[in-house]
Amino acid sequence: MEINVSEHSGLKVVAVSGEVDLSTSPKVRDALLGQIQGGSGVVVDLSGVSYIDSSGVASLVEAFQTAKSRGKSFSLASVGETPMRVLKLARLDQVFIIHDTVDAAVQAG
Amino acid sequence: MSDQLELLIDMGRHYAETQDIESTMIRALERITVLMGAVGGGLFILEGGEADGKLVCHASHGPVDVRGLTIPAGAGIVGRSVANNAPEMVWDAQNDPSFNKDLDKQHNFTTRSILCVPLSVKDERLGALEIINKESGDGLFSKDDLTLLQALAASTALAIHNARMAGELAEKEVMRRELELAGEIQRGLLPPPGGDLDPVCGVNRPARVVSGDFFDYFTLYDGRIAFTLADVSGKGMNAALLMAKSASLFRCLGKEDLRPGRLLQRINAEVCETSLRGMFVTMVAGVYDPATGRVVLANAGHEPPLLHGADGSFTPIGAGAPPVGIPPELTGGGPVGEVVLHLDGGALYVFTDGVTEGYAAGGAELGADGFQGLIRDGVAAGLSPAARIERVAAALADGGRALRDDVTVLVIDDAAAKAGRGAKTRAEARPAEVVSEAPREGVLCVLEVPARPESLILVRRAVEQTAVSCGFSKEQSQDMVLAVDEACQNVVRHAYGGRGDGDMTIDIRRENGDYIILIRDYAAPVDVSKIKPRDLDDVRPGGLGVHFIREVMDAMDHVPPPDGQGNLLRLKKAI
Repeated sequence: MEINVSEHSGLKVVAVSGEVDLSTSPKVRDALLGQIQGGSGVVVDLSGVSYIDSSGVASLVEAFQTAKSRGKSFSLASVGETPMRVLKLARLDQVFIIHDTVDAAVQAG
Repeated sequence: MSDQLELLIDMGRHYAETQDIESTMIRALERITVLMGAVGGGLFILEGGEADGKLVCHASHGPVDVRGLTIPAGAGIVGRSVANNAPEMVWDAQNDPSFNKDLDKQHNFTTRSILCVPLSVKDERLGALEIINKESGDGLFSKDDLTLLQALAASTALAIHNARMAGELAEKEVMRRELELAGEIQRGLLPPPGGDLDPVCGVNRPARVVSGDFFDYFTLYDGRIAFTLADVSGKGMNAALLMAKSASLFRCLGKEDLRPGRLLQRINAEVCETSLRGMFVTMVAGVYDPATGRVVLANAGHEPPLLHGADGSFTPIGAGAPPVGIPPELTGGGPVGEVVLHLDGGALYVFTDGVTEGYAAGGAELGADGFQGLIRDGVAAGLSPAARIERVAAALADGGRALRDDVTVLVIDDAAAKAGRGAKTRAEARPAEVVSEAPREGVLCVLEVPARPESLILVRRAVEQTAVSCGFSKEQSQDMVLAVDEACQNVVRHAYGGRGDGDMTIDIRRENGDYIILIRDYAAPVDVSKIKPRDLDDVRPGGLGVHFIREVMDAMDHVPPPDGQGNLLRLKKAI
């Protein structure tokens, strides 16, 4: 699993790739919360994620709620078939703000 | 011209007799100097490059012995001749700006005229031949002298060139013999070729003289057989040395009767302590018990071994850990996860990618299908395990081309042992090994892994492979991967409280048209009434696992474990 952070129009784009499971999701959680607590709005680029489990989804939910409470934007982008299926199983596809591409997410602010 | 011919013949004969180019050069220079009627002469050899090298005098004749004299390439009249690859005829040396007068002063000698010709073969510059002061007439060298010296220099250059080539050939021959000796020592590390009655045997065909692959096996005190197969990254001598080290570690530590997962952990620690940077070993270690047909297998980054069931099915068994040689602090450490297989009359093939990526007759890659085809044909033809893998190796050498990579195959065949066991197998199995009271028929895969987050990837691979082999769609298989992962997470996080000190067993089987996963732990009993999926409208982190499992599987039941210890969860999905 790998995490890369870049900046686009004042937003932090956190690109996650590989398998997000119980052994790797704490790193995703720390990376997302770190950016939000640092005062940034966040776009999570999930295009490289081949697997995500409930602990990975939990990291996204926690980050989403933290961002909301601080008035920061938080959205998901480029969600592939496999992670999207898990979000749907959790009925979270209706909760998260999801964009087709990182560009669209950045434009939406 | 006859003098020149005689000189040539003499040089050739002298070199043939002595094999000593130095003494041949000295002898040749002496004869050339006398033949040319010169007072003195020197033979200079270029050492190092034409630009930054130096010219060293190897032979000298006359009143002043200048052997060993070293001048920078390009300096002096000799240097000029070599640099331009052209002869120099100097009639008034004292007034030539390139001439170095120091030597004359040192030896109380006066150099008047110089004739110097370069020694070269094709474009390779070897040095120069120089003669000084003609004894007869006006003491000056003539055009005819130059022509003669050039002819003599050509012969001398050729003799030096040939001698060098012969020396290099001899050196290469020594290296080739050393490499062959290393290959021989390596082959000595492998077990002898298998007989027709051996249940475990292997074959290794190196693509070069030495191999980066190896296999080994030996019988433990109680009749079980420990085995290994490995592939060292890279080729050549350093791969061969790391192979020898890993093979020795297996022999040595394997006899301590460690479980394969712990054995690979130990070997990794030893290799990492002294490893050559950037080199690693993909390695499979296992133990086969002919009394039960049971195999405990651990895989560190290697190509998935192939289980050929007695029913003719093929199932790959995935890797549980990164390769040996990657420092434990990078991977979380701990023993490598183990898979327990029941061969039940079938056979397990462990092999290197040199097999599937090797060229078969016709020039195409053998591939997984080609490999399976060869195994199937071998079984159908009634070949012994040893003859079967021999046929695979032969098929890859069939193309007449050199092997693309080392080819190594190890087989663990349970057919003969099963026939000997008859129907009594199950009753004789040691109680500790019985995972549950359920019948063994249809067991697809059993994993015994530490209850730690790092083990989950192995569980996922096992579910993915077995689900696909049962005919589930890709999407269904991925769903079940998630469900089983979630169930195992609960064991790691809740049953053992995240301490990572316990084990869990995942038993995947096919029963009455259902795909069944039994997840067993050895922790304190869990209060089943507290396990329930949460309300999804309440968006909060956590608590989704049980919901995923219920959504994906047809049934999820907590059943009493066979010996009343720990917890046993049964997941079911109709095939």
